[in-house]
Parts: sequence; structure tokens; C-alpha cells
Amino acid sequence: MQIKINHIAKMEGHAGFMASVLNGDVKSAKLEVQEGIRLIEGVLIGRHYADMPTIAQRICGICPVVHNLTAIKALESAMGVSVSPEAEKLRVVMELGQIIHSHSLHLFFLSLADFLDMDNDIQLISTYPEEAKIAMRLRDYGMDIVRVIGGRVVHPLTNEVGGFKKAPDADALRKIVTDSSQALKDAVALGEFFKKIKIPDFQRETEYICLGKNGEYAIYDGDVISSQGLHIPVEKFESNFQELQKQTELIKKVVHEGKSYMIGAIARINNSRDKLSPQASSYLDSLNFTFPDYNPFHNILCQMVEVIHCIEQSSKLIKELLHSDLNNVVTGKYEIKEGVGVAAVEAPRGTLYYHVEVDHNGYLKNVNIITPTAQFLSNLEDDVADYIKEIIDLKDADKQKKLRGFIRAYDPCISCAVH
Amino acid sequence: MSIRKIKITENMSKPKVAIVSLTSCEGCQFALLDLGEKFLDFVGKIEMIDFRLIEDEEDDGGELDLVLVEGNPVTEENVKTLESLRKRAKILVALGNCAAMGGIPEIKNYHEGVNTIKHVYKYIQGISNPEIKEIDNFVKVDFVFPGCPINGEEFLKYIPELLEGKIPVIPDQPVCVECKAAGNRCLLLDKKPCFGPMIQGGCNAVCPTSRMTCQGCRGLRPTGNVKAMRAALKNMITDHQFENITEIFGLRDDIEAKEKLSK
Repeated sequence: MQIKINHIAKMEGHAGFMASVLNGDVKSAKLEVQEGIRLIEGVLIGRHYADMPTIAQRICGICPVVHNLTAIKALESAMGVSVSPEAEKLRVVMELGQIIHSHSLHLFFLSLADFLDMDNDIQLISTYPEEAKIAMRLRDYGMDIVRVIGGRVVHPLTNEVGGFKKAPDADALRKIVTDSSQALKDAVALGEFFKKIKIPDFQRETEYICLGKNGEYAIYDGDVISSQGLHIPVEKFESNFQELQKQTELIKKVVHEGKSYMIGAIARINNSRDKLSPQASSYLDSLNFTFPDYNPFHNILCQMVEVIHCIEQSSKLIKELLHSDLNNVVTGKYEIKEGVGVAAVEAPRGTLYYHVEVDHNGYLKNVNIITPTAQFLSNLEDDVADYIKEIIDLKDADKQKKLRGFIRAYDPCISCAVH
Repeated sequence: MSIRKIKITENMSKPKVAIVSLTSCEGCQFALLDLGEKFLDFVGKIEMIDFRLIEDEEDDGGELDLVLVEGNPVTEENVKTLESLRKRAKILVALGNCAAMGGIPEIKNYHEGVNTIKHVYKYIQGISNPEIKEIDNFVKVDFVFPGCPINGEEFLKYIPELLEGKIPVIPDQPVCVECKAAGNRCLLLDKKPCFGPMIQGGCNAVCPTSRMTCQGCRGLRPTGNVKAMRAALKNMITDHQFENITEIFGLRDDIEAKEKLSK
């Protein structure tokens, strides 16, 4: 028997799905990529480093901030450029804003309808107008953070190697702090709503990988840690994890010691939940998860926890920034130097890695970008192969619906994965 | 009368619209979605036939009043989709820089071309890897929403005309007009190579307002003077650097065509 889905809507980029099942045995389960190649790494090679953040962030229209930041961090590491603590803090806040708006979009507008058996968001919005408004306000709050700091939501403008072209407006930052109390109320209310949604019970053990740091819920930097005890610096990522390309495949899937692994909100919550902010932590407690939690559908609730965390954390950091000299975020002088640099930042969907090599004139000799979806795709396919067994007796149309919902809960970004 | 029939009657007066992305970052679709309530107001005025970011229903394949296309035709499927949309649509609009000017993916055309793939993939057989071409090389394009990404407010400004079946005209004015109105200090005064004077305005000068030089994602304005621009930048950047900047958003081939024409 074959299960084929021509196109899965409501996710970033284009993909379908194909599985073949023989006598109840799942022989293969694969996402079929329908995205073309843009060869972003290829077009970067030979170009001046200053173009890289501008070009690399255009890998993705929903998470440009994290591509921009990771590119900049990798270039700074390659050329030995240091940035002010204020600039670094402002970048962290920007990434928190990115996570808030990406998660709010995914958990409500992309994924929720699947658990309510609805086909489109127009229906969803008219059935739950209050909740839709809350989700939209949360998304706006995250977008405001990115806009105030970056100058624009899709493809921000102010960030560059060494710092920022321009300091953000202090009054606009103050307004974000003021708005954060409403945002926090909204997030907690939406969290309560999500608790009432019936989430399928499905479990499969896997390895959870994310950035980890002493004393904080790692987003902007840290070492690579795993639920199985791995703890390595980011520099060792490429020697511990393998990018594999099969013939005719456009996504280079990544494995750890030959096996699939999971990243993103559910991985971060599994590995670093003791470092969450107060309200995020109490919301997580109220979900009564047993850890390690191996239900991939819980990714959505973990995203909800992170929205709460990111609101609390961003407001705290902005307050600190408002007590410092904001002009310190503006880029100072630095030298162009030859070198190799790597960097990793937690994107909404998991850890994003960049590797760059810069020559003595500042031109790029080599670039490698390893995106979250390329990393969790094997895990998704392994999960789906197991999940199919549970839904095998359903009618074809229902099976397809369940599978679409499953794949969407993972929040894959095909534009990123192919780039 | 069944409920279904009532729905059809209601929809009869509403224009049928599809928003479709080919190969892209989908940032232009997000620029629309990010309009929030304003975007929902727009959705209320139309019958949305295809917009995959918000709905999972199959497109019925019928006639369309307006199609907005984002991205580059890279795969054979992309080309087929584009051609079939043109056949179905009264008006076809390029949504953003990739569709209109080739965008970031077009950078490869100016350098190693299709060989760029060797930096990325070990196995290249069976992978569609064409030279990047703007969508008007495949189909007739009636209007362009320029920019990388598009400006959501500008979309709201011109969409009513398009829904009435009219083709809007974006006024021929440089980015500088809005930049001055925003009270910005001119980047050229600080020896920063800003393309503002030759580039089509309408973006609210969002880049220079963030102290980012204009790199021309909205394209040359009709009376944009490339020669004067080159002269103004002569003491800031070399010709080679000028070409390099024009490559980022697919402006280089347009400039070359214009300069060839004036020779």
C-alpha cells in the first residue's frame, strides 16, 4: 500500500509525502521536497563578507533574524571581531522576538486547526475569534521587538559584523517593556486554551540536542549538549555530526552517530527546562509532562512554554539595556582578518550552524550552513514510520489528514532545509 | 437552496485571487501575513482560491481574476505552475524582487552559473539547476510589486485597483523623496554607496532609515540615471564594487540592458 500526499500546505516551503507499507510493515516514509535549489552557500563563495548577512538571511522569510545573527557571529569568530556586551544583549532580545513571532504563527495559525479537525484558518478564526486575536497580538509583540531593533521584520537591516548600524529608539524599547505585561497575560491565556486541546498520545524515544549554557536557557550561544550526555563546543559540531546527501535529494540530512535526533522547542525543554523563567516554568509544570518527554506532538506545547519564557526574558533584558548606554551597540572599528569561524544560535525550529572561511581581503572562501529542518528531518521520517502503524486502519482521507497534522506539528521549514 | 449554493452566490461578486510561491524564502507572503488584521480585511473582500500559508484545501483549477506570484521558476514543476496560472488569470502580478528581478538566486548567473552547484552538492544528477530567469521570461506580467521583501502598506495601496481589473502605476520617484521626508541624513554625504537616487521609491526608505544603503531591490525607476549615479559614487567605490552591489538583487542585468540601449 502507498500513502501519498501531493502537497502539504500551511508550512514554510513546498513538500509532499510518500510512504509505502507492506503487510503492515512501513518500508519507507519520506517527505518529498518540491522546492527548487537556490544554492545560497554557492553564491556566497567569492563574495565580500559584508554581503553575507544580507544574502544569508534571505534563506528564510519567517526566520531571517537567526540566519542574519548566525552569519554575523560566524564572521566575527572568523575575523576575531569583538562586540560590546550591549550589542550582544540586543541581539539576544532580537532572537527572542524572532522565536515569539515564529512560534505564535506556528502553534496557532499553522498547526492548531489540525487538532480541531478544520481545513483552513478562516474557519479557525471565526470559531475562536478571541483566541485568534490573542495569537495575533502575541505575534505582533514578537514582530515589534524585531522591527524596533532591526528596522524591519522580514529581512532586518541594522545588524552587521561588529554591532549595529544604528541604536534602537529608547522610547520604542520602553513601549515594548510596557506592552510585555499584556503580552505575558495573553501568552498565559493562550497557554490555558492549548491545555484543552486533545493532543494525540504517541511516543518514540530519540536523542534531544540543543545549545546548553550554565545558568541560562541557551538561545544565542552555548555548547552543543544532548539528552544522552554529549557536551561539545560548537567548533566540534561538524566532526560529531554528519551531513548526508543521497542522490537526487536536495536536503542534506544530518545524523548523529548514524542515528536521527530531535532539536527545537521540545529538545530545549527536555534539556534545559530547569532554566526557564518563572511563569514559563509554572506553565510547564501545569502540563504534567513526564520527562524525558518523547511525544513529538508536544512540540507545540513546548513552543507555548517558550513564548512565555521569551516574553519574560526579553522584557528583563530590555530593562537592563535601558539602564546602559544604548549608543554602545553601534559598530566600532575592526580589522578584516583571514580566518575560519563557526557559530550556532537557537532558531525557533532548533540549532542553526554556520561555518565560514574568510580570506585576508574579506572575501568568502568557504561557507557551510546546517539548518534545523535538515537536522530533524530524519527524526521526523522515523517518527512518521512508527506513527503510520497506529493509524493504518483509518480511511485514506483520514490517514492523510493525520499525517499532515503530524508533519506540521514538527514545524518544518523546507525553504531553510534546501536553501 | 442549500448552504453550499448560498455560499457560491455570495462569492459571485468577489474577485478570485491566488497567492502562489515558486522557489523562494516566502518572505513576501509573510510581509502580507504580517499586516495582521489589515490582511484579513483584504481576505474578506476576495475569494481566496490558493494561499497555502493559511489553507490546506485543493485549488479548484478554475479561472482567476488576480494571481500574485512570488519567487523563481527553478524546478520544472515551478515553470508548469507559472504557465498554468497565467492561462487561468486575468491579471498576473510579480510579488517581490525574486519574481520581478531574479533576486538573490540570480547572483549565480553573474559568476559560476550552473557550476555554482558544485560548492553545495556532491551528487548533482537529477537536480534542476537552470540559469535563473525572471518570471516575465516565461509569461506576460501585468504589474510588479517591487522589493525584497515587498512593502505591505504599498500592497494595500494598489490592491483595490488590481481587484477592479485596473493596472496601477507606481509614481516615478527616487527612494530619496521618502528618505528626506523621514528626516534622514543622506548616506552619500557620509561616503556610503547608496543607490537611492536611481531606484524606484515607494518603500518608505526603510533601508536608509536604518542606515543601510539602498542596494536597489525595487529596481531602476523609469528615469533613473545610472550614469549620474556611477559618477556620484566614483570616489566611494570602484566599478567592480558597483557591479557587485548591483548583483545582490538582480539589478545588474537591468542596468547593463539600459546602458546598452543608451549607447
